[in-house]
Amino acid sequence: MVELIKVSKEYPPDVVALKDISLSIGVGEMFFVIGMSGAGKTTLLKLLCSMEMPSGGLIEISGKPIAQLRGYHLARLRQKIGVAYQDFKLLTDRTTAENIAISMEVSYKKPAIIKKRVRDLLDQLGLADKHDTITGELSRGEQQRVTLARAVANSPTMILVDEPTGNLDAITTERVMNLLNKCNKAGATIVIATHDDSIYRHTSHRVMELRRGRLQAISGGLP
Amino acid sequence: MSFWFTVMRQVGRNLRQTWGSQLMTLLTVSLSVLIFAFFSLIYTNMINFGEKLGDDLSLIVYLEEEPGPELQQQLINKITTFDEVEKVRFISRAEAYERFARQLGENRDVLDDMPKDFLPPSIEVVPLKNLRSLNQVKLFSAYLSRLPGTLKVQYGQDWVERFYHFTRLLSIIVLLSGTLLILTTIFMVAYTIRLTILGRQAELELLKLVGATNNYIRTPFLLEGLLQGIVGSSLGIVSLYALFQWIKLRFSGPGFLNVFEFSFFSPAVSLSIVCVSILLCTLGSYSTMQKFLRI
Ligand SMILES: Nc1ncnc2c1ncn2[C@@H]1O[C@H](COP(=O)(O)OP(=O)(O)O)[C@@H](O)[C@H]1O
Ligand SMILES: [Mg+2]
Repeated sequence: MVELIKVSKEYPPDVVALKDISLSIGVGEMFFVIGMSGAGKTTLLKLLCSMEMPSGGLIEISGKPIAQLRGYHLARLRQKIGVAYQDFKLLTDRTTAENIAISMEVSYKKPAIIKKRVRDLLDQLGLADKHDTITGELSRGEQQRVTLARAVANSPTMILVDEPTGNLDAITTERVMNLLNKCNKAGATIVIATHDDSIYRHTSHRVMELRRGRLQAISGGLP
Repeated sequence: MSFWFTVMRQVGRNLRQTWGSQLMTLLTVSLSVLIFAFFSLIYTNMINFGEKLGDDLSLIVYLEEEPGPELQQQLINKITTFDEVEKVRFISRAEAYERFARQLGENRDVLDDMPKDFLPPSIEVVPLKNLRSLNQVKLFSAYLSRLPGTLKVQYGQDWVERFYHFTRLLSIIVLLSGTLLILTTIFMVAYTIRLTILGRQAELELLKLVGATNNYIRTPFLLEGLLQGIVGSSLGIVSLYALFQWIKLRFSGPGFLNVFEFSFFSPAVSLSIVCVSILLCTLGSYSTMQKFLRI
């Protein structure tokens, strides 16, 4: 699904956020990226969804290098990748339902289907009563779940999640992980960046640790 | 289907968000269409009127003496070397006298004491219709006055000249208001769409991130310009029509305006004005997007 070969990212003037990361993530895999704050997790996810361009190295998704993608093809790729951003990127003057619907509207899903999917997701994340609330008025934990719902709504083939449980209690964290597991079972490749060890401690999936932009270790996974 | 549903909802959202400036733009567009169409209407009517007047335009060349048949043919040759003419007619002293007498009607007895040949003979030249522009008529008259044996050349110099200058002035006004129309439509539409775009930066950024295609982002704005064009120019034309009808009603009956047979644009012309305005508005929105929606 994803191939990274000696990928580096430098922010001007001279911040090295990622250095020589080589990695492949298989189709349908659930993959954890861990590391301290500032280790480069968010940067890695931004590269995967081509929000940022790498300063060196090659990134391929489904066998295609994404560096040259422009216009229509880039848009199509992004429709296939759902991202829950660390800073949410919600439209704070729109309702919860409208925010979630956006990711489906851009691929022209039918209104009836959108409506049903939004209700369904809100139920699963325990936000059923927030359907018509302006997202600016939600708590951070609620906003975080709305972001996740938007990321998975369009049933993308790859889901990138940045610190999904940062503001959540144990029960809500479990709801979130249940939803992600469900998406994974349905075939989606999932990359989760986190420093919350409660969600990867007992996992059988692969866990990659970043330290100051370098790949420190990859552990776990079935042999 | 879903595409248009989504697009229309987006347009509705835009209109609601910036309805104040949308309304301003709409009024500006319709006002400039109104001004432009108003002057064009007067201009086209003037041209029509001029053509009608020009139908009876003729030049009278007064001669020193009655030409014999030989000289007549020579003069005709001379005249037609300048340009082909519709008609050339010789009027002898006797004919001129007869005409004058007929014009006097009951008072013809004042002529009793005059000799029958006191009026000069003349040639009446009716130029071709394509010779109607004033410059040509002037040149032609100068040419005729240089013919040997010519006393004087006469035509409706005064009114022809005044009329010509008037239509010239009108054509300049039409050009100016046309330029105004182009500038206001393009710039006002571009400006409001820029406002919308700037007011929705965050949303547009997000739309790109979740994979909205260029078409998805642009179509609502293009449609917005299109809508401004359709509604604005139709409003302009319709109000001109209303104004036209009002003036016609108000000043109907005997009077100055009845000299001209004022007529409104044909449906085809009205439609072209609307279409051009739509095109201009769409162009305005397109150019803004080129600048502000780099993807
Ligand atoms: N836009 C940016 N400009 C400059 N430096 C940045 C930018 N984004 C991140 N960084 C730097 O890159 C490093 C990695 O950041 P990030 O990927 O956000 O880490 P993490 O998500 O693991 O906390 C940090 O040192 C951060 O300061
Ligand atoms: Mg981060």
